[in-house]
Amino acid sequence: MSELKVDKVSPRTGTYVSLNTVGSKNIIINGDMSIAQRGTSVNVGNNDNGYHTCDRWSFFESGSPTAVFTMSQSTDVPTGQGFATSLKMDCATAQGSLGASDLLRIEQRFEGQNLQYLKKGTSSAESLTMSFWVKSNKTGTYIAELNDSDNGRQISKSYTIDSASTWEKKTLTFEGDTTGTIDNDNALSLVARWWLAAGTNFTSGTLATSWQANDNADRAVGQVNLADNTANEWYVTGVQLEAGTTASDFEFLPYDMNLDRCYRYYQMVADGTSDVQVISNAVSYTTTTAYGVLSFIKEMRSAPSLDQTSGTGYYNYSNVGNSDTFDSFVIAQPNTRNARLNNGDTIAITVGQSGWFSARTTGGKIALDSEL
Amino acid sequence: MNINTVTKNYDGITNEFCSYQVTYVNSNRVKSVPLDEANSDYQAIQEWIADGGVVIDNPPE
Repeated sequence: MSELKVDKVSPRTGTYVSLNTVGSKNIIINGDMSIAQRGTSVNVGNNDNGYHTCDRWSFFESGSPTAVFTMSQSTDVPTGQGFATSLKMDCATAQGSLGASDLLRIEQRFEGQNLQYLKKGTSSAESLTMSFWVKSNKTGTYIAELNDSDNGRQISKSYTIDSASTWEKKTLTFEGDTTGTIDNDNALSLVARWWLAAGTNFTSGTLATSWQANDNADRAVGQVNLADNTANEWYVTGVQLEAGTTASDFEFLPYDMNLDRCYRYYQMVADGTSDVQVISNAVSYTTTTAYGVLSFIKEMRSAPSLDQTSGTGYYNYSNVGNSDTFDSFVIAQPNTRNARLNNGDTIAITVGQSGWFSARTTGGKIALDSEL
Repeated sequence: MNINTVTKNYDGITNEFCSYQVTYVNSNRVKSVPLDEANSDYQAIQEWIADGGVVIDNPPE
């Protein structure tokens, strides 16, 4: 047994590091775009609002835009910065003239319970600094916005893409908001938005560079129209949103830690890339229906939806006596940790036997979704 | 995605309304959506209903 003797213990001097600056300073999840459980490329437009490629990054449009973008996980990254992937928005169908209510943007949404340390709505409210690498052939003014969903408040900052098709690092600081506290729950409280196109309903006012009550006209003043030419593309990576007025180096996380953060919102169960992928154990409860229990990899934000592809014979129930195929699943009794599943259309099986569910064809894809 | 149809699912064990089955326009994606107000798909269904969408309901006999 070793022994440690000291004459005096003194308080440490210098700067203390708070918990929020260790390991989780980045409010953004998957800021390096390394996780893409859903897939790596998809065309978005025509109200394809939601999550498509890089985890936690959603596409949002409103009005009646006709533009279509290919949203993808790209390997085009800023040289020498340590990134391997970026999010790319590539204009596939152009829209030279935007309707007044048309908008296109990329978003990330946050739970209020993760933002309490920002002390929003108090005299001690923290500023937030957003930093990211961006590249586009279309130079000019772009808008990034924070929106407080709990209190209907907004703040926008502009950034300029100076050089065409060149990676540039941008840093924007949003001052703390002394109005409107954030709900301490698992619901949507704050949205970070990167505008790509905005009709006049969102550009006709004065840019809200300080926190204010929601006013569409002040959201995206000066925003270029990235949708006006099929040659247009926009890349982003290394996105960080942190408390304070300065941008620190991007917080790289190991792949497993990054994926683990994403699992709270989305978990792929069978990804449709091979012929047979087991989904869960199950039992033949009746001659037409089998039930299984699916335990989640990690506790989810809310009871999740079962997000699945549906097609003839995409899924299978197998047991000793026989097996049968079906087209989709139904979820029942879900909570944040597990759920019961059953075949959504009738199968012919023997009561009382145990078996298992699987995705049986390439394309049979099933996931758990509790995104904000 | 634009919702195409919304159908009530009934639990084959309890016979209780347990979730919604949602199909989308021009897509083979289907979502089975729990009755949880915190679920964003559930919220979207409620907006779709408020906008005039009609839920298909075939309760067990």
